Amino acid sequence: MSKDKTPQTTRRTTRLSASSPNLSNAATGLAKCSSTTHSLSLRDLVFGGEIFNAEDLFSSLPGRRGVILELIRLLGPIDSQMIPLFLYGGVSTGKTTTVLQIFRHLKRPFVYVSCRTCYSPRILFESIINQLLLHSKNEGNGYSSAKRCEKPSDFVNYLQDALVNVINGFKEKTEKSSSKKSLKWVKGSMVYLIIDNLELVRDWDKSLSILPFLFKLYDLLKMPELGLIFISSASPDTYYSDTGYSEPVPLYFPDYSEEDLRQIFLRNQSNPKLYTSFLDVVLKPFSRVTRRLDEISTAFSHLFKIYCEPLQDQTIVPNEETKRRLFSHLQPHIAPSLNEIFRVPSACSGNGANKDMVKRKVSGNKLGVSDITDEMDFHMSVCAKYLLISAFLASRNPATLDASLFDSTGGAATRKRKRKASEKSMEQKDIAQQELLMKGPGTFPLERLLAIFQCITSVAEYSAEEEELGHGGLGGGAGDGGLMSDVLLQLSSLCSANFISKGSSCPLEGSTRYRCTVDENMVLKVARSMKFPLSKYLYRN
Amino acid sequence: MGGDKPAEKALILHRTRLSSPNFIFTHFSNSPDTNYSKLKFIISSSITEACNNSILLLGPRGCGKAAVLELVLDDLLKEYPDMITAIKLNGLLHSDDKCALKEIARQLCAEHQLSFSKVASFDDNNQFMIDILRECGLAHKTVIFVLDEFDLFAQGKQRLLYSLLDAMQSVSSQAVVVGISCRLDADQLLEKRVRSRFSHRKLLFLPPSKEDLPGLIKHMLLLPTDSSIPDDYTTEFNARLLKLLEDGRCKGIIDTLSTSDSTFNHLIRFLFIAVCHMDLKSGFLTLENFKAALTGVQRQPKLECLKDCSVLELYILVCMMRLELREQESYNFNTIMKEYSSIRDSFQTCDYYARNVCLRAFEHLLQRELISLVDSRGHTQSLEFHPVKLLISAHELHLGLKSNRCCPAILQKIIDRG
Repeated sequence: MSKDKTPQTTRRTTRLSASSPNLSNAATGLAKCSSTTHSLSLRDLVFGGEIFNAEDLFSSLPGRRGVILELIRLLGPIDSQMIPLFLYGGVSTGKTTTVLQIFRHLKRPFVYVSCRTCYSPRILFESIINQLLLHSKNEGNGYSSAKRCEKPSDFVNYLQDALVNVINGFKEKTEKSSSKKSLKWVKGSMVYLIIDNLELVRDWDKSLSILPFLFKLYDLLKMPELGLIFISSASPDTYYSDTGYSEPVPLYFPDYSEEDLRQIFLRNQSNPKLYTSFLDVVLKPFSRVTRRLDEISTAFSHLFKIYCEPLQDQTIVPNEETKRRLFSHLQPHIAPSLNEIFRVPSACSGNGANKDMVKRKVSGNKLGVSDITDEMDFHMSVCAKYLLISAFLASRNPATLDASLFDSTGGAATRKRKRKASEKSMEQKDIAQQELLMKGPGTFPLERLLAIFQCITSVAEYSAEEEELGHGGLGGGAGDGGLMSDVLLQLSSLCSANFISKGSSCPLEGSTRYRCTVDENMVLKVARSMKFPLSKYLYRN
Repeated sequence: MGGDKPAEKALILHRTRLSSPNFIFTHFSNSPDTNYSKLKFIISSSITEACNNSILLLGPRGCGKAAVLELVLDDLLKEYPDMITAIKLNGLLHSDDKCALKEIARQLCAEHQLSFSKVASFDDNNQFMIDILRECGLAHKTVIFVLDEFDLFAQGKQRLLYSLLDAMQSVSSQAVVVGISCRLDADQLLEKRVRSRFSHRKLLFLPPSKEDLPGLIKHMLLLPTDSSIPDDYTTEFNARLLKLLEDGRCKGIIDTLSTSDSTFNHLIRFLFIAVCHMDLKSGFLTLENFKAALTGVQRQPKLECLKDCSVLELYILVCMMRLELREQESYNFNTIMKEYSSIRDSFQTCDYYARNVCLRAFEHLLQRELISLVDSRGHTQSLEFHPVKLLISAHELHLGLKSNRCCPAILQKIIDRG
């Protein structure tokens, strides 16, 4: 498969080609597949293509040598029986890729299913049966499966029949090919069943019966020619079941060490010397936060571009002086990017590829870098902004204080009374603060939100433009009815943007309750953009 | 099939032996006073005396209940050909009464070369089963029903169990019901009407004792002299294996193995890994193979996870441990962040990251299942406010910090101080 791609893409391509055997052949260009008339054969259960020897295997998966050796040992020589295996390890440690590449190397037939794409027992069962029966869903059969099976009992019966067929097929093939000594595209007649993402099964409805069933599948089938391999990101001790299950042989994929990461990133680099000097700078601080390959690689691809900016010629071998220059150029960018959690390429700009707009949720006090931008990264209508502010206020302020806060005469007086702080009230404050940390923002009914919204909008000066916005197309004379309907629309769009969450209805009042999920920094930004005095209305205990 | 080298042949033989569930229990088939001979006696006497019977095989998972029964059935099929029909059901597959009766009808049809109707109703199948039982009784044939995962059959209305056991009350039928369960109270789960029809014969299966282990290992690993493997290799292999098993260090390994989990399955997994580690060039099992197998079988997933944690994740774990030691009854991400900043203030550490980065590390910990949400039912609140708890003990965290290579010294100091 494509050696010139980054680990992520190889992983995806292997996964894709494995789940739909059509593609693996298309990619390697062995079979001429004219997409509609192509009928599957036993060949599609094996990786096609040129010989993939052990050296290729080790070099394509840096840092996994020990695990590969162990796994090959456990799989054993051709046609040797095995106890089910359970491979586990953290996210993005190359579990799936390693297994699939090993099968590509060994050229043994296998069936791969992932519990992520097969999200229910029925789909899982039917997908396994389809692959074994060499059945592909297409227009001709109305995209239906070969067999309909919902219950584990049906599945076991179908699986037994299908496996016997496939294994006999392979046995015939190997007998023929051994007599002719022709190109061997398959080794052995044992079929391996690889079930990926097993940890997701725990969240299925019927997980309590499906999981023990899957673990016991090997004993139930009583077919020595079947090898079972489970892949999971959760460790075996997290699979609880009240009467236990037959345990498979565990094999752990450790996270990549810093040295492994370096080797992985150095693969397929056009200028390894330059990249090495780049990694010397960034790898250490990043690996303190996380060593997950998927997260680091997105951050690095951006940083490397910045790192290369001062260079005219990207193919040069950097000497000490250039290294120092590049480092000083990069240094101010490292700390902020450590604090970034995701980046979104801006869709609107045409040259978006090199001008990534970075959505930053920075809480600036880190490492002395104050980097708060006052502007918001996205557009919101004025009405929505006011609505968001009033939702925030409704979530943070106790409902009993609403009258005093928003009534212009009473507000100041109550707040003054609050200021007298005694020992006892300080203690209460601590408890209340603790509670706020624990409980989070409060909920509020729609009526309260609208009341606050009206209060703050009536205080704020209406400009003509805003008037138009608020009242929509109804014109100035439409009055409150128009405003309200528009507000409800804005509210639902805020809900769908996940700024406000809609809770369950209160059993006493019967009305739906809302909760503002936005943090204070964000609302402060919004308020600043509107020049709205938020602190005046926010009750702080 | 197979390689040319004797070592590879031996490996394939071993793997075949280890992955077949029954082989290990043939060790017991010759000696009297084992579950094997007891079970065989019970079933064969009900075949010869043409009576009905019911037995429960109880015992922890991985102690060979189903395998011993399988061996017994194989033997009896040889002894009394054409007199036994075995119907096998599994609670994991057929716990639904309808489905179970359908499966019984299917297997009975297959056995007696009858055509099976998929659309038959529960009552049809029930009637069919009773008829077949009567016919078999008249022909002096015994039907043996094997109900694996018996406790799962006792979940619903137990209609299947009732109709099975009720059919056995008549004189004309001739059937044996064998239930297999790893719940020792399986017979207490039965309804009154079912329990009164059940014979309450129970056989208890236990893990092998320490004295049995060396014998079992020899039984599994010694090469047979009458196979296709060359004789000189076989004798050499066996001699070396026997010598190895006499070694004190090897005995120590087997002792540690049996103290943690002494079931047959555990032993098989251990031997499987050991055999897989055998060096094919020399072709003999060594002490190193057994050592590797011991570490392979006795995994400590939580410690492995801790070993892989990044520095920031360790900080969060230490914060949570401090909160837990302070006996704070419930805490969430916000409280942890407060603790985190207080650690940073009091110890002047350099690892201080923004809240969002910490939240992501926190999510990683949730994914690694080192921590978990206290009550994951209500998802209305965002993650920061959800109460959490640690899934590791202070001791584990301590060990984990020691084994983690990039753990800063300050964290160890904090956790040592308590």
